[in-house]
Amino acid sequence: MNPLIFTTILMTVLLGTMIVMMSSHWLMIWIGFEMNLLAIIPILMKKYNPRTMEASTKYFLTQATASMLLMMAIIINLMHSGQWTITKVFNPTASIIMTSALAMKLGLTPFHFWVPEVTQGISLTSGLILLTWQKLAPMSILYQISPSINLNILLTMAVLSILVGGWGGLNQTQLRKIMAYSSIAHMGWMTAVLVYSPTLTMLNMLIYIMMTLTMFMLFIQSSSTTTLSLSHTWNKTPLTTTLILITLLSMGGLPPLSGFMPKWMIIQELTKNSSIILPTLMAIMALLNLYFYMRLTYSTSLTMFPSTNNMKMKWQFETKQITLLPPLIVMSSLLLPLTPMLSILD
Amino acid sequence: MMTYIVFILSVIFVVSFVGFSSKPSPIYGGLVLIVSGGVGCGIIVNFGGSFLGLMVFLIYLGGMLVVFGYTTAMATEQYPEVWVSNTTVMGVFLLGLLMEVMLVLYVLKSEEVGVVFKFSGVGDWAIYDTGDSGVFSEEIMGVAALYSYGAWVVIVTGWSLLVGVLVILEVTRGD
Repeated sequence: MNPLIFTTILMTVLLGTMIVMMSSHWLMIWIGFEMNLLAIIPILMKKYNPRTMEASTKYFLTQATASMLLMMAIIINLMHSGQWTITKVFNPTASIIMTSALAMKLGLTPFHFWVPEVTQGISLTSGLILLTWQKLAPMSILYQISPSINLNILLTMAVLSILVGGWGGLNQTQLRKIMAYSSIAHMGWMTAVLVYSPTLTMLNMLIYIMMTLTMFMLFIQSSSTTTLSLSHTWNKTPLTTTLILITLLSMGGLPPLSGFMPKWMIIQELTKNSSIILPTLMAIMALLNLYFYMRLTYSTSLTMFPSTNNMKMKWQFETKQITLLPPLIVMSSLLLPLTPMLSILD
Repeated sequence: MMTYIVFILSVIFVVSFVGFSSKPSPIYGGLVLIVSGGVGCGIIVNFGGSFLGLMVFLIYLGGMLVVFGYTTAMATEQYPEVWVSNTTVMGVFLLGLLMEVMLVLYVLKSEEVGVVFKFSGVGDWAIYDTGDSGVFSEEIMGVAALYSYGAWVVIVTGWSLLVGVLVILEVTRGD
């Protein structure tokens, strides 16, 4: 793609999300979502093969349906309250429709079916933008309407998302699908605590974005999209096998890595609000996630995966330089001692 | 009948939407879009927005739909699909028509209808002259406000249109 056009379109994706996050008028928020959706389609379709086109079409259809539902909820809210500000949603019907629309945009169960298919059909860099940047805008709207969200619906969607994200990722060997199911599960964790403490949702979003960025950049550096090609990294850059191990364990939520921080805080906040069964179930279902991360580490860093002998003597081509990778790796594994700093967020 | 003109227009609006969303060939979809655009303009004019209604005719029907018609005429196939040619299309069209007819009968028969919002019978669509927006018409003031207080909206919409053109060119390049 022409670099100037590509920059313009990428800036429009950023502008769309910025408009969503900083507007106080519902119509502008909807315009921001549409601008974001419109501009990300050519980014998803960077290579012109049928798979990317199918993935982009699926993404466009689901997100456009979600935008339509959002517009309907906005209009119902307008009819019952007569004003367009987003501080509070005045009608329960509008609130439910809005929650469903934003859940469709995020990829929560039962609207999660597009996430693995779209993520698998596009390149690694586009998948990176899809799973990190595109979650910011809907989550910011959920944050802003969090006092008026119906708790039952949100918690049901959250718990089912954690279950589907863990269970669905078990049978996958394609790395992009694994990251997609991991995204579904993390979105479930984020929305579970949204009504109780939106600050923790933002914390979880921050740490999730850091860890997902790290994982995707490690995949991009070794150009691997399947478990099999990831298992050859010991031959290309042996250091990244250790980094993959640490980052994957952090994504699984193991202490003393930073991925433990959001899970710990969320479980603490939920138990403070006298719900015991729910965080227990969520913690148990996070084990499913941990299982397929462990399987990746097993094949990548802990064992030498079986391969033919000529795969064990690879030519050392120039390695890709990914500038942001070392700080990201440090942040996605070593942030746990900074947990007391959460008090500044209140 | 004149009291219920907005209701009748809105029914024709929904029927023409059903007509093109049952996916005949784009030429026939464009035909039905013309009808729905005209009827939508009628609804807006009935609420007092004469400027916006005529804008719909001028820009939407006279600009965008004409361009759409020409491009579809360039890309048309030898036997375009009508509503009665394909069983699926006809089935979806009839189903949409059936649902609209049932909704209209529901509205006509019962005292009060509460689907998502309540409206009590056909008369709710009628225009009552409240007399509040007397001296200045609300809709022309809205257009004026768009270009003064709403400058940010104009910038955003203009930028969206520009990026829309760029995106469409990129997507259809196919190379």
